[in-house]
Amino acid sequence: MFFALTDDQREFDAAVRGYLADRFDLDAVRGVVEDTAGDGHPASLWKAAAEQGWLAVGVPEEYEGLGLGLVEVQVIARALGAGVAPGPWRGTVLAAEAIRLAGSSEQQAAWLPRLAAGDAVGAVALRGSAPGRLPAVEYGAVADVVVAPGDADGRSARGGFVLLERAAITAHPQGSYDATTRLAELEVGDGETVPGGGAEIVAALTARATVLVAADLVGIAREALTRTVAYDRERRQFGVPVGSFQAVKHVLADLHVGVTMAEHAVLYASHAVDVDLPGADLAVAVAKAKAGDTAVEATAAMIQYHGGIGYTWEHEAHLFYKRAKRLAGQLGDSDAQRARIAELTM
Amino acid sequence: MDLTYTAAEEDFRRELRSWLRANIPTEWTRPGFWEVLDDTEGFEMRRSWERDKALAGFAGIGWPTEYGGRGGTPGMKAIYDEETVLAHAPRTVNPLGLAFLAPTVMVIGTDTQRKEIIGPLLRNEVIWCQGFSEPGAGSDLAALATKGVRDGDDFIVNGQKMWTTYAVHGDKIFTMVRTEAGGAKHRGISMLLIDMHQPGVEARPLKQMSGASEFGEVFFTDARVPAVDCLGEIGDGWRTAMLLLSFERGASGIAQYTEFRRQYGEIVAVAKALGRDRDPVIRGKLARVLTELECLRYHAMHVLTQTEQGRDLGFEASMTKLQWSEAFQDLWEVFDDVLGEDATLDVVAGQDLRALHGQAMWSRSVTIWGGSSQVQRTIIAERVLGLPR
Repeated sequence: MFFALTDDQREFDAAVRGYLADRFDLDAVRGVVEDTAGDGHPASLWKAAAEQGWLAVGVPEEYEGLGLGLVEVQVIARALGAGVAPGPWRGTVLAAEAIRLAGSSEQQAAWLPRLAAGDAVGAVALRGSAPGRLPAVEYGAVADVVVAPGDADGRSARGGFVLLERAAITAHPQGSYDATTRLAELEVGDGETVPGGGAEIVAALTARATVLVAADLVGIAREALTRTVAYDRERRQFGVPVGSFQAVKHVLADLHVGVTMAEHAVLYASHAVDVDLPGADLAVAVAKAKAGDTAVEATAAMIQYHGGIGYTWEHEAHLFYKRAKRLAGQLGDSDAQRARIAELTM
Repeated sequence: MDLTYTAAEEDFRRELRSWLRANIPTEWTRPGFWEVLDDTEGFEMRRSWERDKALAGFAGIGWPTEYGGRGGTPGMKAIYDEETVLAHAPRTVNPLGLAFLAPTVMVIGTDTQRKEIIGPLLRNEVIWCQGFSEPGAGSDLAALATKGVRDGDDFIVNGQKMWTTYAVHGDKIFTMVRTEAGGAKHRGISMLLIDMHQPGVEARPLKQMSGASEFGEVFFTDARVPAVDCLGEIGDGWRTAMLLLSFERGASGIAQYTEFRRQYGEIVAVAKALGRDRDPVIRGKLARVLTELECLRYHAMHVLTQTEQGRDLGFEASMTKLQWSEAFQDLWEVFDDVLGEDATLDVVAGQDLRALHGQAMWSRSVTIWGGSSQVQRTIIAERVLGLPR
């Protein structure tokens, strides 16, 4: 039995967190958030992601990737969530994953090395289908290639994916109160069929995407809790640290349990999907429901247990809260996940 | 990640499973079987079955062989916890002795204590009770008032213990007794090993809200205890108690998960029988509990991993306890939601629900005993998160 990260996986985690702390901290994130005219895709962070292998991690070695699994990929997702990091990392690794799982060898050769090296930006659109309008695609406006389900009436009649290149996309940026991630509605045509698989490949990619969103959420949740605990140890009212009050302690203790359980759930789900364990569907739904609820609770608590300062624009709490709110709703919110859990267990 | 057990561990699972299959009568697995038995009759049946199990080599799974244990791995202990629940094995009649007293005696007991306590305990020749809580000392254990006054080679003990598991069936009781008056609250306590079959010790059943009497009260009136029957140093009982309670840390929660997951299935079956399983509110509530139960399963894997790696789990037992006890309570709250207007009825749609109601009532106790949820939260806040006292 080994239900934990290996030393190598921990080092990967430390490397991502170390980079963000030193080179792309919350001030840098704030700079992106407040640059409303920008594309939310900072070049320096993207360069680091490419150089340090954050984009290559799940790509097979024959396509210049690191050939690692979803457990390693979620390590990065978690660290990026903890840093509320902007940029099209998730869309890029998921686009590569779709092409790895179902692309033709030509598509794999054309895209995987470029996506792994950061030479191309990827995006996935799991709402809507091509041709048509794809709503709220993460970094759809800067993507070189978008993976989307083909319309049953379109060229990909089996319900699998199509690839859409930038030239065939008209992007309409959409405002969002979570400005750590930029969204766009895309108008797209037929695209190029991804030959492997039909609906099951869409389900397989959705499971991976859901795990990565859940991982970002637990990264956010743990960071929100850690920052709140640190503040409440120091902040004094009535002559004592506010963290000495039981009304505060017990809430933070419950959150620690919740965040820890959500971490377990995401780790388990990533492994279950990676090696196709029986019950992987259930594990993904559990992970997303738990991570979504916990991240919203932890970030709301971050505001509450900082007091008034936590409600200000200048404080970082809202960056965490807003990102948690958006991601908790993605790919099926907690109620939708619970409906799925009931289906699978009743 | 590697969620498998070793070949030796899987061999152990097969061996245990086959012994359990051959030695548990089918009628024992029927829901409600134990609940309708006379308390003493049921206890004695379990006592004798558990003794046979020990003699077959399926007790003290992780204990060293020199103490009659199996010398098994933490993985084998987890498998044991899981398989005994899956097989509907009777609950142990010596829970405090097995989980807490024996491992403590192995560490700090005298040679005589090791010899005289561990073997008979393993074979259920002696049922051990734990004498910690008192009417005035629940969560605040150090407020205990039971007194021991030295008289030659003995202590004369007076006082009352409460919430004592299996008090009326107990043979001996490891008891926190204040043996030195005055001084600091945590000093001057001794852990005395007291024979319950003597004048001056009286055990009475304590009828619980469920109607059952797992707990009892123990009254000491000039009970005489040889001073050599002290576990750890005289006056150092607080340290002994902390060591004893630390053995809770290895408990992974897998037994609870396995049991509660089955109960989830039982509740779903009732919901289906009543046509309540299509109600989206009920479905959402059940799924919410299932989510917490699955998290408990993952947590159990985490705890087992830490144990196998030889890492100190610190105060993680508080998290394990909170997770299983709160999820268990939530599960049985949903049962009442399933039943709706008929929540309190003994029989609904021809189905006798009394055993299930008994579980629901029992669930109210689990967030109190063994360190209440409030105590656990304070421990996590102060010892894990480092919030100021």
